[in-house]
Formats: sequence, C-alpha cells, structure tokens
Amino acid sequence: MRKTVFFATFVNFILIVAAFQLIMPITSWSSQKKNTSVIRGVVASQYGMVSDARVRIAGSKDFTLTDINGRYTLETPLFSSRAIKITAGKDGWFNNSVNALPGNQNANVMLFPIPEKDNPNYRFISPAVCARCHNTLAKYWDKSKMAHTTSNVKVINMFNGTDATGRELSGPGYKIDNPDKDGNCVSCHAPSAAVTKGGAKDIEQALWSPKTEWDGISCDYCHKIRKVTKTSDTPSLFKSHLRRQTPLTGNSILVFGPYDDVVNTVMSASFSPAFDKGSYCAACHSQIKKSDSKEPWNRKQVYTDEEWQGFDIGDDSVIPVQTTYQEWRSWQSNLPADDSNKGKRCQDCHMSWRKEMLPYDNYVIEGHARDMWGTKRDPQNIRPHHFDGGTEIQLKTALSMEIEGQINDNILDVNVFITNTNGGHWIPTGDPMRNVMLILSATDSHGKTLKKIKGEELPTWTGVGKIEEGNYAGLPGKMFSKVLKDKKGNINVPFWKATEVAADTRIRPKTTVKLKYQFKIENPDDEPAAEAKLIYRPFMKSLAKVKKWENNDILITQSAW
Amino acid sequence: MNSKRILIFGLIFLMMTTTHVVASDLLSGIVKAQGLRKPDNILVYLTKTPDQITPPQEAFVLDQNNLTFLPHTLVIPMGSTVAFPNNDKVDHNVFSLSRTKKFNFGSYKPGVSHNVIFDKPGIVELRCDLHSEMISYILVMKNSYFALTDKKGNFSIDVKGLAQGKYTLKTWHEKLTNSKLALELPAAVSQKAIINLKRGAPGVLYK
Repeated sequence: MRKTVFFATFVNFILIVAAFQLIMPITSWSSQKKNTSVIRGVVASQYGMVSDARVRIAGSKDFTLTDINGRYTLETPLFSSRAIKITAGKDGWFNNSVNALPGNQNANVMLFPIPEKDNPNYRFISPAVCARCHNTLAKYWDKSKMAHTTSNVKVINMFNGTDATGRELSGPGYKIDNPDKDGNCVSCHAPSAAVTKGGAKDIEQALWSPKTEWDGISCDYCHKIRKVTKTSDTPSLFKSHLRRQTPLTGNSILVFGPYDDVVNTVMSASFSPAFDKGSYCAACHSQIKKSDSKEPWNRKQVYTDEEWQGFDIGDDSVIPVQTTYQEWRSWQSNLPADDSNKGKRCQDCHMSWRKEMLPYDNYVIEGHARDMWGTKRDPQNIRPHHFDGGTEIQLKTALSMEIEGQINDNILDVNVFITNTNGGHWIPTGDPMRNVMLILSATDSHGKTLKKIKGEELPTWTGVGKIEEGNYAGLPGKMFSKVLKDKKGNINVPFWKATEVAADTRIRPKTTVKLKYQFKIENPDDEPAAEAKLIYRPFMKSLAKVKKWENNDILITQSAW
Repeated sequence: MNSKRILIFGLIFLMMTTTHVVASDLLSGIVKAQGLRKPDNILVYLTKTPDQITPPQEAFVLDQNNLTFLPHTLVIPMGSTVAFPNNDKVDHNVFSLSRTKKFNFGSYKPGVSHNVIFDKPGIVELRCDLHSEMISYILVMKNSYFALTDKKGNFSIDVKGLAQGKYTLKTWHEKLTNSKLALELPAAVSQKAIINLKRGAPGVLYK
C-alpha cells in the first residue's frame, strides 16, 4: 500500500513538472518579440542546479541570471545558419558553454567548480606565453609601469641604500636601517616571486631569482587572483587570494578574469567579479605603517575626522603611507546616489581606450587564436592594459588651473584656482615622494618682478639655488604633497622612519583649491602681469640629488593674467 | 522752402557730427606661431567692442568621436547653446569644472546628446572623465568680432558696423602666450595685421 502511494506521488510530480515545462514555453513565446526566438536550458553541476549563473550569447553585452532551479531563457535571432554559443559562468566555477540553434529548449550547460585550495608550488607562466594570443594587450602591458616594477632602479636604491650608479650608503635605504629584515617590497614589486614557494624574500633576491618568471607584475599573477579581501595582516590591509592550479581536465591553466563567456581549450577561464571592483587594486595601492608604541600622532592637525574615518585604516596611531585606494573609496562613498561620478572605478580610467589604440579592435586576442576562439565584443567590454598613472598625459589632464587678477591702487591681487578635474583620488597620490608645485610670479610691464605682500611661499625642500635648475624655495607658490616626519622632527623621511604625517595638502577629487596672493605695484600707471605654473615632481630634490636620479619635473599646465 | 533748407542743413549737420561706422569689410591678417606645427585654431578677437545683447540663433556642436572632441577649439558668442552628441563607440563623460561654466553629464552612451547654454564669457576647459587624453576648449566671447586662424595662420574678422575708433586685437591658444595689438578702425581694414606668437602660458580672454 505504501509503495503504491509513493509511486502515485512520484508519477504526479513527474506529470506536474512535465506540464510546467509544456506551459512555460507557451507563456514565454507569447511575450516574445517579433522575429526573435528563444533558447532555454539549465545550468547544472555535479552538486545540482546552479542558480545565479550568468548566461549569455558569447560576446553579447547582456546576460541573464539562472533562477533558483538553474533555468534560463535567452532571446536569440529567429534563424541562425550555425549554432549559437551559449556560455555560463559564476564566481567559483569554470566558465562553460553549449552550442544551440534558435528554439532549442534543452541547451544545458554543465559547470565545474574551481579547486578549493591554492598551490604554492605553482610556477607562474611568463607573459611571453600570454603574448602569443594576447599580443596587443601584452604589448601595452609591457610598456606600462606594471611590467618592470622589479627592476625599478628607484625601488632598489631605496631598498638597499644605493644610488643610481650602485654606490652604497647613498642616502636612505631600508636595509641600512633594518639589516635583519626583508621589507615587503616584493609583495607588490615582484608579487609572483614573493608568493612562490622558495621564491624571493626581498627585492634584490627577486631580481635575480630563477623563480621570478618576469620583471614586474605579470599577467599570470594578476589573473590568478580570485578575490581581494580586507585583513589586518598586511601593510595594505588587503590580501589577494590566489588559486594556482592546473585544472584536472586537459592541459589548460586556470585563469580568472572579468568575462563569464570565455570558454576555450587552452585557458580554463573562470569569471571573477573582483576584476570589476576598485578593491582589486587595494592590495598594492594602499600602505599603512603601524606604530610600535601605539601612541597617537597629531592626526587631527592633518586630517579631518571625516577624511580619517573615510580611510578606515585604524586608530590615530596608524600612519597612512599610501592611501590611493582609500582616497578613491572615500570619495565614492561620500557621493550622493545621483552624482554623475558615482560608481566610477579605478579600471574605468586606468584601463580605458587611448587614441593610439584606434581603430577599436573588437577582440582581445589576435592571429590564429582569434580564428579559433575569438569572441567579438563591444569595445566597451574590453579593458586595454596600459595602466596609465602618473604619466605625463594623465597628469596634464588630471589637474587644471585658472588665474585671475585685479589692480587696486598700488596692489595687484592674484587668485589662482587649481582643480583636481580627472583624479578619482587625491593628487598627487601613491608614494609620498611625489609632489605638485604651484609657482607664481608677478611682473611689471618691463618684466621686473613685483614684491609679494601676501600669500604662501614654496618651502626650502623645493630646492635652494638657481630657478632655472629647478630650485623654487621662497618663490610665491604652494606645495601639494604628503609630508612624512620622524620622531626627531626631520621631514620628508622614508616611510619606515616616519612616526607621523606632518602635512597633507594634496588636492581632493573634483575639488578646487583657491589661493590668494597680493603683490605691490611700484608704478600706479603700470600694467602688471602674473603667470602661474603647475609642476609635478616625482621625488624631492634633495633625495634626487643624493640618489643621482634624473630630475623629471613635468609641467602640468601654465596660465597667465 | 525754408523748412526744406533747414531739413537738408540739419541732415548734413547730423552726418558730420554722428560717429562714423565702418561701412564694410574684413579685418584680416596672419598669425605666425613659433613652436606649433600649424598656426591654426588660434583665436583672434577684438576687445573694447560693444557686448552682444541678443543670443545667437546658430546651433553649435561639440562632437565626440574616436576618443576626440571635435572641434578642439569651439568659439561661440555668449548666450549660445552647444550640443554634445556622443558619436563614438564607447561611453563618454563630458564635464567642465571651469569657473566660466561648470557642468557634468555623467557617463552617456553612443547616440545620446546633451545641451548646455554658455551665458558667461571666458574659457571653458572640457574633459572626459573616462578618457584622460580628451580635452577641448570652448571660448565664450562677449560678441561676434572674432575668428579662428586657418592652417596657414590667416584670419579675417567682419568688422562691419563697428564704430570708428581704437580697438585692441588679441589672441588666445592653449599653448601660446597671448598677444595684443592696438589698432584703429577703419584704417586697419586696409592693412594686413601680422601677429607673432611664441609658446608659453596662455592668458585669460578678458581682464
């Protein structure tokens, strides 16, 4: 009797499911657009149906999510001479696909989970291998600052206390002050060597280690990052979680990326939402120093409570060394929901198309690989890998300046307005060595310099000496920088010596700084003029001198009244 | 008869005493610019002229295509409306933080356009938030007495209707120092102005 009841229930269930399957297509067809068809199916795995998987026609901009039962419906053209590639992807799973003709009601996709554990013995693949198919991406990456971070002379000089010629004990050096420590340069300047078992501990080792597969932050390292999370264990307060495995099936390698529709035999791609988030960059574009004494420094003299809370880096004893990520996040979180800048991420500006790349190439791979696996994409769904930042072209468009003047009897009033127009973070950002200077001059009609009565001057550390040699100390102007200070009161010290931030005058995103100056006019009938220059200096003059680094001042903009 | 005579004398007197206006013609010249590949797109304009009162009817367009603003320099009389269509293949985010006119359209898709009225004279620097290379200038003028130089540096400004008198001819280009040249109309119409410019800090349009 019980067996009969069970059998009847089972049959009823099958009938209900079958009826549901029959009704669904009819209802869907009724709401379907003219000249279109639909493809239906389920996304399943060995563990059951996969909900919230992203399903799309490969290369298309729009996707649909599977429902709680793994089901999806995609609108397609009414006819197609060849099968359409339907792809599915989800965080934590390898992407997969199925080929189906319009009208197919059973286009099911099987997903396989990525390995649970990371493999620290994995040997990273050289970018030269990636360049075989991704030639253009690799070419721009190779020209970028990401590509040669390990052999960066300035990093090495600051690490071991040498100068550009290799002479030892030339200026500050991490190893001079910390002979028994390795520092943490490698975690960002040679990350693949740093995380490989038996790899490099410090930047010099990384440079010479056979386990460094390439000079810099390589393709395979970045595309092995599955996610980035907050932590208190790293100087950045963020940790990149890697999954380095060769998938069990075939010889392809596990690669994470922003695409859920990349499915081919040489690369086992897995969709990771981390690639479209600003936090992806946080593990390296953030650095704090925890004070040994836990004593608070004079934080309130430098940062407002709102700014400090926006950084979210700890109590007042923490020294913010580099806060690029925090500056962006804080700016974004304070924007109202309807602000036109809301939602802008690091990738939008630092991985955008550039004129030299035109015409738009709708693929991310070239050559035979394109013929075999190429997926045509909207240019908006392709992120070029130039990683522009701190370059002349970006600086020139990051800041703008306006000047206005007014003659009142024998006084010339000059106002200068400097705006952070294009930066989603403070400018300058990153290493505190970087600074931006406003240099202002006012002259009479004969070119004679007018005496300043009111307004700020540039500090001594901008250089004492001839102006034409880049020395600007005492000139009317303003320094925009973060100044680190040690416990002896020395300023512009390297981060490992810093015990506080003495000043942080950098320009906040989309804000304008107004600077007022007054000059004395000797001849009341004269027509004076004023000229302002905005200059970016990648490192302090005194440091450049001791390290024998070439002075690379960049004129951002200039304006006259 | 007497009244006729009075009228004729009156008209002659009026003609003699009223300020003469420039009957026609173009104020022309050439700009030579050191340090520029081509001396084109340099603004040449007259100051000390009467401000324009009625807004122009002309429709101005600042296009976006292939990651470029077109034209690079757009000169408009005050009160003009400019359309900003996105005719590219990617989103753009045109904005200005210049004090002459601040606006921000946010990211917008190909095929979409926005309009802005420029009601204050001055320089407006345009940027695209997503493509840092994109930069363009809208120069908002107090009147219509301006011209942009052609590829050879030639310019001509229609000064018809301007009162006789002294004016100043000025220039602006984002990479060149401004210059000013005093001239007198109508005498200047018959002469060709020659302006030499060099690279340096550009100045404001109106002091």
